[in-house]
Amino acid sequence: MKKVTVPEQSLGEKVVKHAAAIRVAMKESVYPLTATVFYPRERKKMPDNFRGYLMFDPDKCISCWECAFVCPANAIQMKEAPNKRYYPTVDYGKCIFCHFCVDSCSGGALKTTKIHDVAYKDMGEMLTLTEEMIEEPEIIREDKKLVEYEIDEQDLHLKRTREVDTLFVEVTPPVEIPMVSQCIEPGSCLGCRICEEMCESGAISSIIERQVIKMAIDRDKCTGCGLCVKECSMQILRLVRK
Amino acid sequence: MAAIAIGESEWEVAIPEKPLKDKLYFENLKAKVIDTNLCSRCLTCACICPVDGITAVDGVDFPDYEAKCTDCGACVRVCPRFVYEPKSGLGSYIEFIAGRSKRFAGQDGAMVTELLVSAMEMGMIDRGLFAGRDEKWAIEMFHVRDPQQLAITTLGGTKYTFADVLPALKKAVRFTKRGVGVVGTPCIVSGVRKLQQEFPIFREKVKLVVGLFCTENFHYEDISRYLKEKGVDFDKLIKTDITKGKFIATMTDGEVKFKVKELEEILPSGCNVCTDFTAVESDASVGSVGSAPGFSTVAVREEPAKKVIEYIKEKGYADFGEADTSQLNFLIGHKKEREKNITKPI
Ligand SMILES: Cc1cc2nc3c(=O)[nH]c(=O)nc-3n(C[C@H](O)[C@H](O)[C@H](O)COP(=O)(O)OP(=O)(O)OC[C@H]3O[C@@H](n4cnc5c(N)ncnc54)[C@H](O)[C@@H]3O)c2cc1C
Ligand code: SF4
Ligand code: SF4
Ligand code: SF4
Repeated sequence: MKKVTVPEQSLGEKVVKHAAAIRVAMKESVYPLTATVFYPRERKKMPDNFRGYLMFDPDKCISCWECAFVCPANAIQMKEAPNKRYYPTVDYGKCIFCHFCVDSCSGGALKTTKIHDVAYKDMGEMLTLTEEMIEEPEIIREDKKLVEYEIDEQDLHLKRTREVDTLFVEVTPPVEIPMVSQCIEPGSCLGCRICEEMCESGAISSIIERQVIKMAIDRDKCTGCGLCVKECSMQILRLVRK
Repeated sequence: MAAIAIGESEWEVAIPEKPLKDKLYFENLKAKVIDTNLCSRCLTCACICPVDGITAVDGVDFPDYEAKCTDCGACVRVCPRFVYEPKSGLGSYIEFIAGRSKRFAGQDGAMVTELLVSAMEMGMIDRGLFAGRDEKWAIEMFHVRDPQQLAITTLGGTKYTFADVLPALKKAVRFTKRGVGVVGTPCIVSGVRKLQQEFPIFREKVKLVVGLFCTENFHYEDISRYLKEKGVDFDKLIKTDITKGKFIATMTDGEVKFKVKELEEILPSGCNVCTDFTAVESDASVGSVGSAPGFSTVAVREEPAKKVIEYIKEKGYADFGEADTSQLNFLIGHKKEREKNITKPI
């Protein structure tokens, strides 16, 4: 069996180590180093891609339901708005803050904030309606200092600055690959024109001439949102690179 | 800048002429097929309708057509009875044989199940559509993607009620990679052929069409009411069959037997005008008449079915024997007579 013993140390080494320990003890008693942030008077600096409370921009939403489909916690429900479009609502009683919804949104309509401290009175309140996600929520801020964690090879240090961080991040939208909708199997087109009806940009048009329906997708108007691709019951539309 | 050539930005769709000029296509379908009692309830129209509006609750209808029909005309393009060309006879075939699967149990020789499963094993299809049933004998469609699913013993066997095979086919076509195998009564087979004739997607994706010999089929409500009146307990029912002019319901504790003629009062109007007994348009047709008990009669008509039969022979999955086509003559003739019930088109 292996025995663990106290390492052998010379007298000199022992003196040096004891002196170092006494120095740390004296320093801590005068200027204690804690890893605690004095919230709410202080706030920890969060990274810009912190996964916090969600904000929503209806102008960028194409009602594709992707966020609701992707949400692993089933926290997103689409609700019909007065303009007949469907927009997401988020139940924070369920949300696990994975932000798959943010990543899935092709239009960048959902975006994150650095807000992580919201209190609710009951579960019902945790269901956040679309309209509550559009305006920046009013926050009573008591924090005067911003705390940053800095780690060197020795230790963790808290760097405090007299600063108040903004909690709303401006996200630079991802570089889009321009896409355009095309018909890959014209022979299987029913001529139902549901794509035309769905298209938000008026890119799809049809002309009925006697016994022929002429379908056309305007490459310039098409924004590549993919709604038509999703709605076509014959699955013959595809997004291709513009 | 040229786009990668995988699709078109402009294309044309030919739409059929409307017999009733200022009516919607669905109204045309209703007037010409449904209201004239020609409708077979094959649900080809429901399969293709892009707004999923056509239902078969109390006969085939589209309750909300005024609001929802996009007037695309797809339904009249695919309805086998819109321009009805009644088929009859034995049809063309490469081989007419009797077969009995060694692997599966079914209505007769379980050759339908064997054909679909073998096609799956060969890689010809990756899913087969089976008409299963619940404990009340109502049909539930199953997408079989693995032969092990055949452990559900209710997938084989004949149910004398209309099955929503074609609405299920649309979904299958959407998800399949290799191809779909489908089985149905002659009207369903005709529906599949119409879909294939009109739309390349169905030509590409439906790889095996197995037809069943069929004199008639019934509405679920009608046949279950009738059988209950006859004393059939659905909880104990294990098999229904029509042989030699008799309807036989086999239960765990006995059987109920009566003449099929009695069922004439609930004979659906669509079957009353159907002349096709052997599903002449199928890749292979399977039935019970024409071979010894325990065997299925198989008319191998097209190349894909022949390949599957060859595979079954090679693997020794089934016993084969002689089939006697002359035994089919009576029922073929019986159905041919129904031609006189077809009213002249409006
Ligand atoms: C309504 C009806 C009437 C028939 N009438 C006759 C007849 O008069 N004379 C005759 O010789 N044969 C008739 N048959 C065919 C016969 O009953 C057998 O289905 C056939 O012999 C195949 O037997 P099998 O053992 O090879 O099939 P199995 O391996 O048992 O497979 C049967 C297949 O049929 C499918 N099926 C069952 N019911 C239906 C349904 N209602 N609609 C669509 N698919 C269904 C199942 O999905 C299953 O895949 C009829 C079948 C049906 C469905
Ligand atoms: S992909 Fe283009 S054409 Fe299709 S719905 Fe979106 S904007 Fe309209
Ligand atoms: S939408 Fe098209 S397929 Fe559906 S009922 Fe109307 S015309 Fe027929
Ligand atoms: S025959 Fe078939 S396709 Fe024609 S209306 Fe009836 S169910 Fe629809």
